[in-house]
Amino acid sequence: MTVALEMSDVSKEFDGVRALDEAWFRAEYGRVHALLGENGAGKSSLMNVVCGLYAPDRGSIAVDGSPVRIDGPAHARALGIGMVHQHFKLVRPFTVAENVAMANRLGGRWTDELARVAETVERYCGELGFELDPQARIDSISVAERQRVEIVKVLMSGTRILILDEPTAVLTDDEADRLLAVVRGLAGRGTAVVLITHKLREVRHFADRVTIMRAGRTVADEDPKTLDDERMTELMVGSAPRSAVAARSGGGRVRLAIEELAAARDDGVAALAGVSLAVGEGEIYGVAGVGGNGQTELAEVLMGVRSALGGRVALDGEDRTSAHPGERRRGGLGTIPADRYLYGLTADLSVAENFGLTGLAAGRYGTWWVAAGRMRGDTEAAIDAFEIQCNGPASRSRLLSGGNAQKLVLARELSGGGGILVAHSPTRGLDVRACAAVQNQLLEARGRGAAVLLISEDLDEVLDLSDRIGVLNRGRIVGEFERPANRHEVGRLMVGHA
Amino acid sequence: MPDRAAAAPAGTFRARRFGRLNLEVRQSIGRVKHAAFIAFGLGVGLAISVAILLASGVEAANIFDEFVVLTFFDRLGLSSVLIECSPLILVGLSAAVAFRVNFWNIGIEGQFFWGAIGATVIAIFDVGPPATRIGLMLVFAIVGGFLWIAPPAIFKIRLGVNEVISTLLLNYVAYQFVLNQIYGAWQDPRDRFPHSEAFDAAERLPLLGWEKVHLGLVISLVAVVFVWWLMQRSRFGVYMRFVGANPHMALAAGIPVAMTIFLAVGLSGALSGAAGFVMGAAQEHRLTGTMAAGYGFSGIMIAFLARNNPMAVLIVAFMIGGLYAAGQSVKVFYSLPQALVSLIQAIVVMCVAASDFLVRYRVHWLRGDGR
Repeated sequence: MTVALEMSDVSKEFDGVRALDEAWFRAEYGRVHALLGENGAGKSSLMNVVCGLYAPDRGSIAVDGSPVRIDGPAHARALGIGMVHQHFKLVRPFTVAENVAMANRLGGRWTDELARVAETVERYCGELGFELDPQARIDSISVAERQRVEIVKVLMSGTRILILDEPTAVLTDDEADRLLAVVRGLAGRGTAVVLITHKLREVRHFADRVTIMRAGRTVADEDPKTLDDERMTELMVGSAPRSAVAARSGGGRVRLAIEELAAARDDGVAALAGVSLAVGEGEIYGVAGVGGNGQTELAEVLMGVRSALGGRVALDGEDRTSAHPGERRRGGLGTIPADRYLYGLTADLSVAENFGLTGLAAGRYGTWWVAAGRMRGDTEAAIDAFEIQCNGPASRSRLLSGGNAQKLVLARELSGGGGILVAHSPTRGLDVRACAAVQNQLLEARGRGAAVLLISEDLDEVLDLSDRIGVLNRGRIVGEFERPANRHEVGRLMVGHA
Repeated sequence: MPDRAAAAPAGTFRARRFGRLNLEVRQSIGRVKHAAFIAFGLGVGLAISVAILLASGVEAANIFDEFVVLTFFDRLGLSSVLIECSPLILVGLSAAVAFRVNFWNIGIEGQFFWGAIGATVIAIFDVGPPATRIGLMLVFAIVGGFLWIAPPAIFKIRLGVNEVISTLLLNYVAYQFVLNQIYGAWQDPRDRFPHSEAFDAAERLPLLGWEKVHLGLVISLVAVVFVWWLMQRSRFGVYMRFVGANPHMALAAGIPVAMTIFLAVGLSGALSGAAGFVMGAAQEHRLTGTMAAGYGFSGIMIAFLARNNPMAVLIVAFMIGGLYAAGQSVKVFYSLPQALVSLIQAIVVMCVAASDFLVRYRVHWLRGDGR
């Protein structure tokens, strides 16, 4: 095996924060290299250095054995380095072929060029073993398909070192497995693949080698077979946290009741076709299911940002089916949205404002003269209580890492004290430690008598936390289970054709 | 799925290098640094303006005299700056309030006209006793401005109609209506010129007893304090910030988003209407077809330079007022074209706008071999 990429002693500071601290990394052709670490460990920063987005303060990079100074993304591309970012860079109203052509000009007349690009896309798809319609518009295809477009785009420009930044974060388990199989195939044909991830399972099943980073430093570079899960987790986070789930305190009166709820996606396609469930006091009700079966719409209808087409939502017996979100909140509802920076936080405003907003709306900080000092004090208390790492209440919430942003949302939603909580994928994209913290908070809320509806595509999470489980499939609850649920049966209903 | 416009621009341009010059997106910036960059932009703009004035024949020694000493440190000069800046403050606040909730009010001139129309109706038909006349004129001006912006606001909130187009086009409707009236029913019977009859003494804003400075300045300052309180200290101001920065999150957090937008935009129209009142009742003393000219652009520019901050609007409007006043005298004494004054204004604005680049990006030289 020949060495494709070698980085040594790479350091990088951002405004005094050390993102990379003499980090090193090595990748060989024909292998899949997992780059493992918590959020904020420096994985993405290190790879952004490789593809020319960041200039390192110190350190050296060698590609194919010869030292290089990467001058920018174009230079990185010329060196055969390509990266698929977490946020796709695709132009929505245009077709797959047009997007690919924009990144890889083949020359000639535009229409001919498009036809040839389309052919090339199909050839790549054939080789990689996935499906993609070159004529489909980006806004009409799924997230998994968009990712494939990005991969084809990068491969077409002659990439021999392919970097994938948490590619499975946006995918369902099934899609993730398929993608990782494609990745293995690419490595089989000689590409050096770098897989940025924080999922141990992916490392174990798909990587030949794992490099583990912690706090900007490279702490291990091993064959994953020589490390067990415990050890890997320990290397990542320093210690291995995990909460033991206590048994339920006993379900009480029904606080959140959903009857025959129907809703549609933005494009009018039915997403919920009569969902019925009830969540009692002191209970976590888990909604399991493969992504895209109506989870997003269910969460949005309950939050009050999407209108229901039929059915009923009641909080403590009061009908709130078409109530304004503010009214729902006064009725005791708190929500933890899946997309933190869409519905959860406003990135450009401060931590204190983001924390205090719902309390402010509830009249806790005055109407005519906002009690800014009290809001700041409450925020400081929440920062301590929820262990949110930030530069104080006045810092912008954009600067929070994923885990800390989620803790902030959680702190706000739990501080309302309404006792009904809808949490949609609350641990998505979080590292092991933040994940455990969030789950513990949900359990503690349940312990205090809250009714929690947990909508999650992570089956382990649902099985671990829920007192009861409903399986959402094609917009319906197709089965309910009491704890301890049989993983196999739940899984069968999730993928079954209901 | 809604657009993630408010999310972190993770996929966008993060760093670029030109030889040894390296650009990176800043994660955050301190207040002092921020202010320093804006001052730097302002300095560059002023330097270019001075160069232009020198090239067009104004003597170097006179530039400072004309633009600083005779404008701000001279009784007559300062009074005309204060008169100039009263309506400017109001239209600046109008734009700032609307822009804060992401409503692009391009129709300030239309609302200005309707403010002036509201005041004119009260004045020329002698509604109510003379003692309350001027107050009633202000109320009607505010209502006029509000009514002119209410339809675009409702259409935007309910149907998603683009407010840039609707408010812009309503300017022409307002303008044509004014022309229709001043060439028709409201034409001055005395001189048959296309403007309304002159307002009586009771229909004019009283002078403050210092040169020709009038009560309009007080109205503007009261508006500044009110808008400052509303935007920076009241709960409604927090709502406005969230609605402007991320309406999806604001809605999910239980904020009455539609009402917040409607009230903020309505206030914007009312402030423009008040500017029309000040112009009519204190400066023109009648309804004319040209009284609103340029105020829409000026309001937008002031709000932009002030970053929608009401206190900064006061300062910027004062400086723009100074530029106008100085421009007037320079125009007369050096027979320079009006265009030159506009040019200077544009250059200063562009330079301050360009300083935003330094706020967003960190520019630094790479040391050593850059690795």
